[in-house]
Amino acid sequence: MKKQSKTVPFCFKECSLLPISTGIRAQTLRELRSAIPEIPESSLYYHFWGRMLRPHIPESEFNNDFASWADSGLGDIELAEELSAINPVKNQNLDELRSILEDILEARLEAGDFTSWKKADREFYFIACKKFMFDTGRRTECLEDFPVAVKTSSRQSFFHHFLDGRRRSREGKDDFSLWLEQFGERTEDIRARLSRVDSYLFSLGELKGQIVTLLEKGLGKGGTE
Amino acid sequence: MSDMLKKYGEVIGFHAMDSLLAIAERLEGKKIVHVNSTKEGGGVAEILSSMVPLSQELGLDVAWEVIEGDEPFFNCTKTLHNSLQGMAGGLSQSQAGAYMDTNRKNAERLKDVLESADYVFIHDPQPAALLGLFPERKGKWIWRCHIDVSSPNRSVWRFVKKQVEGYDASIFSLPDFAQNLPHPQYLITPSIDPLSEKNRPLAKSEVLKIYEELGIRRDKPVILQVSRFDRFKDPLGVIESYRLAREHVDIRLVLAGGGAADDPESGEVLSAVKEAAAGDPDISVLLLPADAHRTINALQAGADVVMQKSTKEGFGLTVTEAMWKKKPVVGGDVGGIRLQVINRFNGFRVRSPEGAAIRIRYLLTHRWKRERMGVNARQYVLENFLITGQLRNYLSLLISLDGKEAEWEPWI
Repeated sequence: MKKQSKTVPFCFKECSLLPISTGIRAQTLRELRSAIPEIPESSLYYHFWGRMLRPHIPESEFNNDFASWADSGLGDIELAEELSAINPVKNQNLDELRSILEDILEARLEAGDFTSWKKADREFYFIACKKFMFDTGRRTECLEDFPVAVKTSSRQSFFHHFLDGRRRSREGKDDFSLWLEQFGERTEDIRARLSRVDSYLFSLGELKGQIVTLLEKGLGKGGTE
Repeated sequence: MSDMLKKYGEVIGFHAMDSLLAIAERLEGKKIVHVNSTKEGGGVAEILSSMVPLSQELGLDVAWEVIEGDEPFFNCTKTLHNSLQGMAGGLSQSQAGAYMDTNRKNAERLKDVLESADYVFIHDPQPAALLGLFPERKGKWIWRCHIDVSSPNRSVWRFVKKQVEGYDASIFSLPDFAQNLPHPQYLITPSIDPLSEKNRPLAKSEVLKIYEELGIRRDKPVILQVSRFDRFKDPLGVIESYRLAREHVDIRLVLAGGGAADDPESGEVLSAVKEAAAGDPDISVLLLPADAHRTINALQAGADVVMQKSTKEGFGLTVTEAMWKKKPVVGGDVGGIRLQVINRFNGFRVRSPEGAAIRIRYLLTHRWKRERMGVNARQYVLENFLITGQLRNYLSLLISLDGKEAEWEPWI
């Protein structure tokens, strides 16, 4: 009889994100551009990822704070669109992300129109953060139980595994997908579906609901679809 | 898990409660003390009334101390409060003297408990000078500023800054309020307790009964503002908004609030409100005792639209309370309300009585949208502004104070 390899359990972890004022603020595009080299890495993280853990509404049009401010503060929709196209998952190295941001802002300033000196209605406050990660001690091994385990996990745990997981993984894969890989072909379809989820267009609660539905459909009782 | 924790678990999810317990475990054996200036009345006292028992239930050693002061002291701290929110004027020498004297007396009284504590949270400017009176302190001290200090009167801020710059950290509700201080400034929003008498669900019959007892007829839509009678809450602006809206929709206005023990100005503001409302049978001005939580709960639950037309606001807890009861809020476009009320999603932010009036009319004539915004409002509070989340942040902050400075994403 062929010996079955042991399933590696999924270990539920989570994080706590504490925003910290940097004291750096910008009221014009030029000030924003000048501040980018100065801000700590954690500030880039906060403005690209951390926004999902703070008061945030699903209707947000733009997927990072810089883009939102370009739109609502400066009224520069073109810049907002360009900034919003930055995919932080593809640029996991925060310094790379910083360079991309600098390039876009620099190019906009070079265009020399009124946006470069326009004063925004509201200042942009650069916020740094401290993120604590810890093991909750919860484990699950059974595929059929996995959707419920994800459903009942906290928002912070979901954030850690799905959104932050994509950042931490070299291939940009979330922790759920990485765990499901050990089940081979059985989970191929669900992993493909997970990889296609656009994580930036929903609130964390909505996103969690969507992922749980995907997992329930794909892994519900009786195995995969 | 205790019964109390289970009840919170039913609201936020049991695994979220487990996580809170896991964070609390890391502070086992540490003595935490909160200090503020009033046991009841006002948002700080309300938060502590919930946070302290919840922390204790999580197994933490937490105490809450209230400083004792006399009239000159509270007159001084009211001036401090107003000036920090930008009002002109400064602190006289005698006021500064009363402030320091009261802090000194309280330092003597609280010597044992504060000197030996591992962590001390000092809430707002009233007890802020205590830090300087404990040179032998053992623990880390955190100054928690609940007020909108985005554009303070500079001379008064200089006075407060001297008291607070020696702290190990401070906490502000919004980045706009953070100041130039030589320590980390954390950003944590205040919260409400979903299990408190003010926020737990009430039967419709009880809501109607309380309205009846207060003499408020439910024959037309009710617009409500609950807040202390404080000029920054702009109760006169609310009356003006009501009068403008009334030209189009038949409504009642209820202004309900109490005084706080540390607010000597509330009587003056209340008189002005009563004068402005005089002769209008559709305006009810209710001065409620500090413990009228159930009454406020019923008023909010029974209102059609809730207002918080503040002109300065650290963070409007009454906004969160109303949102928790699925009410869209028409709030002033200031301070913490900017984070709480998102235009067209869970209410409207306004900058004038005219703006408030048109939003009241809109909400009353678009029932479906009003209900939709109410549902959004509750979910938004559930995800962001409950006491469990705030406590989680406070506890994480304490852990962070003991951590290595350089690492921003450590495992604990």
